[in-house]
Amino acid sequence: MVTEAPTNGELAGSRLERLLREGHFVVTAELGPPQSADGAVIRQKAGLLKGTCDAVNITDNQTAIVRMSSIGAGTIVVDEGLEPVIQMTCRDRNRLAIQADLLGAHALGMKNLLCLTGDHQQFGNHPTAKNVFDIDSIQLVQMVAAMRDDKVFQCGEEFEGEEPRFFVGAAAAPFADPVEYRPLRLAKKVAAGVNFIQTQLIYDVEAFAGYMEKVRELGLHEKAYILAGVGPLKSPGMARYMVNNVPGLLVPEALIDRMTQAGAEWVGKSKDELTPEDKKARAAAWKEEGIRICIDLINEIREIQGVAGVHVMAIEWEEAVRPIVEGAGLLPRPEPSGATA
Amino acid sequence: MIIAEQKPLEEIKDLVGDAEKVLVAGCGTCVTICFAGGAREAETLAASLRMSTRLDGATKTITDTNIQRQCEWEFLDEQREGILDADVVVSLACGIGVQAMVERFPQAWVVPGVDTSFLGVPAEQGLWEERCAACGECILGITAGICPIARCAKSLLNGPCGGSEDGHCEVDPATPCAWQLIHDRLTSVGRTEILINPQPPKNWKAARDGGPRRIIRDDLRIVAEQE
Amino acid sequence: MKARKRIARAQDLLAEIGLEPERVEMFNMSAAMAAEFAAAATEMTERIAEMGPNPLRVHRPESAGG
Repeated sequence: MVTEAPTNGELAGSRLERLLREGHFVVTAELGPPQSADGAVIRQKAGLLKGTCDAVNITDNQTAIVRMSSIGAGTIVVDEGLEPVIQMTCRDRNRLAIQADLLGAHALGMKNLLCLTGDHQQFGNHPTAKNVFDIDSIQLVQMVAAMRDDKVFQCGEEFEGEEPRFFVGAAAAPFADPVEYRPLRLAKKVAAGVNFIQTQLIYDVEAFAGYMEKVRELGLHEKAYILAGVGPLKSPGMARYMVNNVPGLLVPEALIDRMTQAGAEWVGKSKDELTPEDKKARAAAWKEEGIRICIDLINEIREIQGVAGVHVMAIEWEEAVRPIVEGAGLLPRPEPSGATA
Repeated sequence: MIIAEQKPLEEIKDLVGDAEKVLVAGCGTCVTICFAGGAREAETLAASLRMSTRLDGATKTITDTNIQRQCEWEFLDEQREGILDADVVVSLACGIGVQAMVERFPQAWVVPGVDTSFLGVPAEQGLWEERCAACGECILGITAGICPIARCAKSLLNGPCGGSEDGHCEVDPATPCAWQLIHDRLTSVGRTEILINPQPPKNWKAARDGGPRRIIRDDLRIVAEQE
Repeated sequence: MKARKRIARAQDLLAEIGLEPERVEMFNMSAAMAAEFAAAATEMTERIAEMGPNPLRVHRPESAGG
């Protein structure tokens, strides 16, 4: 079966691309493959996410921990009727392996790709591994855009047959250092040919609005669709941990206070005083507030000019996506008008 | 220069094994300057080996010497006799020195007494830092004299990644983020092309990935003249 | 205190070799602290006496005093 290159200006013809082109405020979610060969985990998570989002990112050995491959899991996701966004890092593969895998991904029906440099292997479960970093995320964007648009491999050789066509994405860390350079680095990704951007988790909407202002000044929002990353906090402790340990992540004190308040009923009690039921109830209260905060964040972020959608990252908490998207009034998800059912 | 670090005594003892006559050979260049394998370290290591093996109940003859440059034939030749007389030579030179000795004296058994660490600079007394990856195609001219290949944990040409925090690398807070340094220097002089234009993939063929490298200068080669 | 760091290094070396690192110790005092000096000397003498002679010298008595 040969899929013809779209003639209406579409790059890959993915659902995500179509909805963005039609001006819908899109929702993407995240699906972390298991640290096992168990396909049932993917099917179960896909079941939770189906109907809540327009496409779902399948992570690629996230935080350098070995998991089922993004394309392998993506195949199951396609079977389950969801559209995957394949994540591809430069840490584990050189330009040969990346291109080969992407030929396969396209043949298997995948149409969205997120290009990442990848977390350093030191943070994962194989810290003594050799990393690759033959190319970086920006060069990866260039490579896959050229495969699609110029029908050439990275070496310059032309394709004899069908070329892989992906709607090409990349990540952005608006608050990583040097902060003043971040809008320009996004411009570099746009210059490399990126079509959409998913940002690092945003909790500080004011700071993000400032970043978006610079992005608009550079006209980047007109050249690439920008999806703001959001995610529910699970506890005040998690919020503090992220602030202290994840570079480029800002969580305003007010949000941490909200999380703390949600557990106020149990504040001041030592670990021994809390019964298992207490702990369960407190965790539930925190999670509920985490979801409410996430909904509020989406509502505020939607107001920022140039934001084309949200990327909901509920890490190992896929159940949270539906209430978040529903709470933000983003259900049901639209069908692209040109789509065949 | 080449920076090295002495191996633990236990490991060196294992490498020496049952050998009776041991020669500890220091090298007078890089490893001397970084206090890993010069004359003084050779002397100390020989003494430590003598004491330690004696405590183990072994009787070995352990001597030490210093070779001005273990990576050059003429300096190796000066100590031919001592090297060939030993059952094992513990070379405190970098990996180049060890291999040069093996190449020059195939009969000799040579083991390394140091781990060759990197190409770097003595940043301050007692502190050495990596600066060059010998990648074969120098880009310092466009990166403001700061090498991202050697100094960025991911060798990025389009950095910094999201792991740059307060000027440091998330992989090691003691390491400055190379791309923060590059960014600051380029910005201060207004030469921001590399910060704005995507840099193409690197030609790693010039680096180790192309296989062992060699440089031939016909104008210097004596063989060429004879032909 | 460079000397203190060097003493620590010497102690590490001794431990690696298989000798008691306590055989080397640094005491920090001024020229006027006679009592402390005497105490330190006594402490070291007692400590070494307790540890016994250098085992290397026991194995090779002919090299003693060299």
